[in-house]
Amino acid sequence: MQASKAPGLVTPGPERRLAREAVAFTRAQSRTYNRSLTSLGDAFADIYTSVLAFGCAAAMAVSFVFALRDGIEGNDPGRSGLVTGSPLQLPAAVLWFLMTYAALAGILTVARRLGPVAVTGAQGAWWLPLPVDRGPMVLPTFRRRILWVGLGSAVGYLPFSLLTGLDLTVGAHAAAAATFGAAALTVLGAAAILQLGPQGARTGRRAGAAVIALVLALLALLPRVAGTGWPPGMPGLGAVALAVAAAVVVLTVALRRAGTVGSTELIRGGAVSGHAGASVFFLDANELLRSLAGEPRPAAAGRAAELYRRPTRGPLAGLVRADIAAFLRLQPGFTAPGLWLAACLALMISDAGLPAPMLLAFVAVAGCAVASGMGTVARRTALLPELDALLPLSPAQVRASRMLMPAAALALWMTVLTGTLVLLGAGGPLLVLMGALAGLGMGAGTVRGATRPAADWTLPPVDTPMGPVPRTQLASLLRGLDATILCLLPTGLALYLGQAFPALLAAQAVVSGAAVLLVLLSGPARPGAGR
Amino acid sequence: MTESGAVLEAGQLLVGYGGVPVCGEVTLAVRAGEILGVVGVNGAGKSTVAQTLAGRQPALSGDVRIHGLLVDRDAVNFRRQVAAVFDDDLFFPSLSVAEHLLLVARGHSLANAEECVAAELDFFGLTDRATAVPDALSSGQRRRLLLAAGFIRPASLLILDEPEQRLDPVMRDALAGRIREHAAAGGAVLLVTHDPTLLVRTATSCLVIKAEVATVPADEGAAFIAGL
Repeated sequence: MQASKAPGLVTPGPERRLAREAVAFTRAQSRTYNRSLTSLGDAFADIYTSVLAFGCAAAMAVSFVFALRDGIEGNDPGRSGLVTGSPLQLPAAVLWFLMTYAALAGILTVARRLGPVAVTGAQGAWWLPLPVDRGPMVLPTFRRRILWVGLGSAVGYLPFSLLTGLDLTVGAHAAAAATFGAAALTVLGAAAILQLGPQGARTGRRAGAAVIALVLALLALLPRVAGTGWPPGMPGLGAVALAVAAAVVVLTVALRRAGTVGSTELIRGGAVSGHAGASVFFLDANELLRSLAGEPRPAAAGRAAELYRRPTRGPLAGLVRADIAAFLRLQPGFTAPGLWLAACLALMISDAGLPAPMLLAFVAVAGCAVASGMGTVARRTALLPELDALLPLSPAQVRASRMLMPAAALALWMTVLTGTLVLLGAGGPLLVLMGALAGLGMGAGTVRGATRPAADWTLPPVDTPMGPVPRTQLASLLRGLDATILCLLPTGLALYLGQAFPALLAAQAVVSGAAVLLVLLSGPARPGAGR
Repeated sequence: MTESGAVLEAGQLLVGYGGVPVCGEVTLAVRAGEILGVVGVNGAGKSTVAQTLAGRQPALSGDVRIHGLLVDRDAVNFRRQVAAVFDDDLFFPSLSVAEHLLLVARGHSLANAEECVAAELDFFGLTDRATAVPDALSSGQRRRLLLAAGFIRPASLLILDEPEQRLDPVMRDALAGRIREHAAAGGAVLLVTHDPTLLVRTATSCLVIKAEVATVPADEGAAFIAGL
């Protein structure tokens, strides 16, 4: 190879040293610049308020966990819950294993979306084209992620361990938390290793997925084993050692090869991380879902083409058809709604003695998550409201068309959930009808949430007897969730009472109808609305 | 596909998105000292061709070689040989103009990096803005900074995607001279442009991107851009 003559060109030095120098230079200059913009007082105030907020949140979480623990302790496993006398019963140990498995699978999925080895846009543009070893460029961020994922997972597992292992000692809880933290790090390392290889053939991918599923299952067992005090004489240490050894092996490989992850993958991970980080900072759930949503699969691009080609009568029919086609093409698969459904049912039939309010709260969370997930088309179209204005249709007609598919999908989801519960002996036949009606209202909540304006954090909080409250921002953040939760209330009440009374059915019809009307008749969302 | 002495070669290259090509097959060879212009109407696929040649995007079919080796933007040797300037408006928010250039100069082991930076700042008219951060620059000045970063480093192949965008006529004129200098020093250049003057002043030949890709003399390419 030949290079053009350039003044001052010398023989390239060791690539790793050059990379370290480039990173150190960038960091030093950035630090100097940032310090010139931040006063010591501001930094102190930021740290003080952060520590205070974290302390308050931690105190509330701890008291909530112990109150819940007391509630579970006082329950009769056979009599508590929403589905008493179910012919199917899921042993609590299996439920805890499945939940741990789901958590590890969630960590793997999110880690793959965010990288986990990644660079920011500027780093991708200015660092990656340099002819140097990329290891020193990507390792600092990756090491920080390892630290935070390990600590966060271990601390996050503690309340779960406290609630699911009522008879365990403090040491066993600590061992279980440490084991889960190490298992999470193993998963993170595996996600980094997955970044290295090109996507292989379909059979190769399937084999890889099967291996990963098996490894996750083994890892999900370890925290419970640590909690039970195996092996005798060294309670919990065996499982902790095994999990830590797995994490060390996987992370050693991942750290050693992090510098060889391709530019495209590094930049993709960095773009998703930046987008997701900014949306979390501004508490913008719509943006967070947009950032984590993958590209639609090419195979889905041609769906409903035949339906779309058929002639229509009038613009509304055309728009409805377009919304149906867009939903079928852009909406992610039904894996996530299916998993939420399975999780709800598993909790309902478990013999863990979970209190009914906790089960209802979980159904509400699942309902909100599934409803938000159905809003892909509505979220995308919300970015370009001018497109809807091109058609000679009223805004209410446009919103009705946009609501159609999410409402139908959610009605189906709720019908399957409530139908299964009825088969298991809960609520009575009217519960199925209530579920379907609730789903229609949740569809309205989906569209309402997808068109929520970004919260304006520059507006001051409103003084109330309880202290200053950021009312405008809260109104913006809760838009959509309010309708979804309201629509779930009558069905939840029927589940709690054990019988779907006709009055509750009527209430459900009114609430769902009101949610639909609210979305159809409300004006476009404006930032700062609700002040 | 071997053309002796070619810095950049592409044979029966098909580029596009989602398996769909955006233009006809591209076959080209650029030797040291040559400047190949790339022209086409909006949406013809010029930038897609440039992105694929620069290894930023996978080809649908065909292959691209630089000094006889398949293009791989992650290979250290590729990064050492190829300088590419696209319209990426991405900068470190807290690094100044001079510091961005210093980063590139040091990353490419230039012995007298500070002097090289001063020379590029002078050439691109950024000396007065050397200590400014990117947010304080106009879009044209940010474009100059990107070009300066492309020229400050040694490269046997320089890929420029519409470098004339947002530049004033004086700077476009200087840029034409700089591109010719790079070629005269033994470098190869791939120049995607909409500017007939820049094309005629620099290119040794021209690739017209459309359904049937053709290689023509530079003045014919300029006439194509001008719609003549």
